[in-house]
Amino acid sequence: MIEGRPDELHQQFDEVWGNPRGWRAATIVNHTRIGLLFLLTGLGFFIFGGLLAMLIRAQLALPDQAFMDADTYNQVFTMHGTVMMFLFAVPMMEGLAVYLIPKMLGARDLVFPRLSALGYWCYLFGGLILAASLFLELAPDAGWFMYTPLSSLPYSPGVNSDFWLLGITFVEISAVTAAVELVVAILRARAPGMTLQRMPLYAWYILTMAMMIVLGFPPLILGSILLELERAAGMAFFDVARGGDPILWQHLFWLFGHPEVYIIFLPAAGLVSTMLPVFARRPIVGYRWVVVAVLTTGFISFALWVHHMFTVGIPHLAQAFFSAASMLVAIPTGVQVFSWLATLWLGRPVYHVPMLWLFGFLVIFVAGGLTGVMLALVPFNWQVHDTQFVVAHLHYVLVGGMFFPLVAAVYYWLPHFSGRMPSPRLGRWGFWLVFGGFNLTFLVMHWTGLLGMPRRAYTYAPGLGWDTPNLVSSIGSFIMAIGIATVLVDVLLHFRFGVRAAPNPWHADTLEWATRLPPTAYNFISLPSVDSRYPLWDRPDLVKEMARGEQGLAAIAHGRRETWGTDAVTGEVREIIHLPGNTWLPFAVALVLSAVCIGLLVKAYAVASVAIVAAAILVLRWSWENGAYEEGGTAVPISAGDPPLHWRTHNGPGRWGMGVTLLADGALYAALLFGWFYLWTVAPQWQMPAQSPLDARGMLANALLLSAATLWLRRVLAALRRGSDKGLRGQLAAIAALGLLQSAHLLWLTYASDLAPKATAHDAVIAVVLGYALFHCVLAGVATGLQAWRAHYGYVDRAAPYEPIVLGQLWYYNFGVVWSAYVALVLFPSTWGGG
Amino acid sequence: MTWLYHPLQIPLGLIVWGVWFIALYSGLSVGCAVAPPDAAAGPWNWLNVVLGGASLATVALLLGLSALCWRASRRVGQNERAKRFIARVGASVHLVAALATLFIALPIVGLPPCV
Repeated sequence: MIEGRPDELHQQFDEVWGNPRGWRAATIVNHTRIGLLFLLTGLGFFIFGGLLAMLIRAQLALPDQAFMDADTYNQVFTMHGTVMMFLFAVPMMEGLAVYLIPKMLGARDLVFPRLSALGYWCYLFGGLILAASLFLELAPDAGWFMYTPLSSLPYSPGVNSDFWLLGITFVEISAVTAAVELVVAILRARAPGMTLQRMPLYAWYILTMAMMIVLGFPPLILGSILLELERAAGMAFFDVARGGDPILWQHLFWLFGHPEVYIIFLPAAGLVSTMLPVFARRPIVGYRWVVVAVLTTGFISFALWVHHMFTVGIPHLAQAFFSAASMLVAIPTGVQVFSWLATLWLGRPVYHVPMLWLFGFLVIFVAGGLTGVMLALVPFNWQVHDTQFVVAHLHYVLVGGMFFPLVAAVYYWLPHFSGRMPSPRLGRWGFWLVFGGFNLTFLVMHWTGLLGMPRRAYTYAPGLGWDTPNLVSSIGSFIMAIGIATVLVDVLLHFRFGVRAAPNPWHADTLEWATRLPPTAYNFISLPSVDSRYPLWDRPDLVKEMARGEQGLAAIAHGRRETWGTDAVTGEVREIIHLPGNTWLPFAVALVLSAVCIGLLVKAYAVASVAIVAAAILVLRWSWENGAYEEGGTAVPISAGDPPLHWRTHNGPGRWGMGVTLLADGALYAALLFGWFYLWTVAPQWQMPAQSPLDARGMLANALLLSAATLWLRRVLAALRRGSDKGLRGQLAAIAALGLLQSAHLLWLTYASDLAPKATAHDAVIAVVLGYALFHCVLAGVATGLQAWRAHYGYVDRAAPYEPIVLGQLWYYNFGVVWSAYVALVLFPSTWGGG
Repeated sequence: MTWLYHPLQIPLGLIVWGVWFIALYSGLSVGCAVAPPDAAAGPWNWLNVVLGGASLATVALLLGLSALCWRASRRVGQNERAKRFIARVGASVHLVAALATLFIALPIVGLPPCV
């Protein structure tokens, strides 16, 4: 619907979607701005991590160097790895996805903009806390993998490891929030007509990456929580003498750590699959096979974690499983590489600067993949384990697989950020310096590793044959650094001197090039309908039609931020997703969580406790401002013929968001149960009491109480779906009360069980499982009470049934948690040799 | 047979593979902890037979699902491309998962389990 001339419409849209300046810029939730902030912050951390790399190479350039002592070197190399993996690679890839995905899908924003903003602020604050540790000379020094017992209290008595554990957990909240956001946006907020088979390949890659984050990050979050509990509260998880096992940390870490490599690589490969067809000037070859390969890579990459642990004493047959899986993952990666090569072969390629970086990616990543297959072979792995060969392989895979496509992407999308084109000359200089410097550094490092030089060693004696290759590597690294500086100068200069970009300057096929350059906060004044996989190639006029407001959802007089909600498979319009506007809430929540983090670091537990309460209040306030908040229930206008606003449906994006969040939560809980059974079967001094400390009947009664409340809520939700809200407020209040009663009972059970979590790992794991269940049950009870209150105000009723339906999933989840805890902690031990 | 066109078909094969892989690794660990077979007996012992049998059953299941999906993809009309896409990707993923299962399970026939 067109309400006026396009320029008037743009003005009206600007009023609703506009971004404030000054201090109020911290209230911005718009995905374009948040994505840019992610990218700029990631760049800052990249420069920081890069400078640390230069320090490392300066130290290793010559034998017996005294440039850094061992303690400083340990802090520097730990921080280099940590910064590059956690503060640069993943946030950069997610930031780019946050920026690009809604535009590519023909949407105005991601579906939970406040969550994006929260993710960014958590990332920034967590990253700053972690980076500050280096300047305080208290940086983590146990390696970016933080192996226990090296990182445990006896061997790392300061707060160095705590900085890592708390800071990284904080940053990972950011990664998981962005992942939830991206999954739901890709599945539920695509342009009408964008069926699954018409989705841009980049969306498939990001969908896979985001699901991998959802399932892969929680084990590390759990590991960090357990290790911090062990360090700060004295609980036992990794201490052999008390029934723990340090190898459990390695399992939890690499359950995250190996998928992490593909979490970084897949979005980069998605960038390649987006850019390469544009420069080859033809559609990608084998779209469907690439989709299958991406999914396969995503899954199989989870089955490789033990290949980092081939030397810890795992049975040969188990090693063989992981060795086979490690070799297997090369095949779907190879399918993608051959698809790219075939696309180039069959196309009419044009060689702009981004193509140079794609060429560099293909060469370096394939080489890294080949050494990956070598490392997958157990006997070879044993020979080069913990040598510089592994360091070289890792850099070939990650720098080749992520950094080169990222720079290609920066050049490709520069017109989006600046409205200008980059300089070809400086771009080429930058590429060749980086490409040459990189290979000089890391190709030689393979040789250094084969000569036996261990990784993590802060210096070496002369005469071992390591002198020359180390010097060459160090020279190469400085050449690479000069190349990166050249690229940065080029990017900076282009903002001033770059030629103005024409609309869709690379003649791309995807919808992000239908925005203005640079784009407005709302991306598109009207939202397109799509009927092909390559909308801008097949319908060149679409850009103008959208700009004239001739496509969908062009009304703005109501003052709401809106985008289409579409069916996950068919792309048919189902609802209008009503998006929140600018707010201080995400910034405030992240700030208070920082206070929690710092409070825990300096052991000011009173401060941390107050901050936790403040965070809970802020989050409840956040949840209050959902759905019908402010708008007086059913009186909200929509245009004739439009579908309903999402909070008047039964299946809006929040339901999907809750589902995906619970998947992440479930991955954490599954990792916790894995820890329970792992310690039971493997820990050398696992101590099983003759009599279980838990009250078996009490646990059963508690599970039954929760089941009763859950079934009651299920009936209420079924009635709401049928259009009946009779007694809704009272029933929700009663269910909340029942839930809180069950929580209180669970708390009493925990207290009465007289656990000794500092004495044995057995009791420590039980305490964490009960604490986990208690937290979730209290959360469900309080949130249901809040819904009863909202029903009292008329914000929730049969016309707006959405929020209780979203909440219902948490109750079902808790049902699963409490019953599985009962089986694992009560039934299983009584059957298998426990009390 | 509408379930063959459900979007869950797309990752289903790999989910089955994932469940099988977890069962394989944890089954091996628990088996070795509870009743480790004699290493001198080589690969032919109760634990390898159980793991191998479960793996073959998984391969058969995945191949069967792949065939069903492929047939389903040939039944859809020209105006049901979304359905065909799901069924074909599902068939491919099931096939890939079957091959992955077979490949990873191969060492069972050559190595004793708990050494």
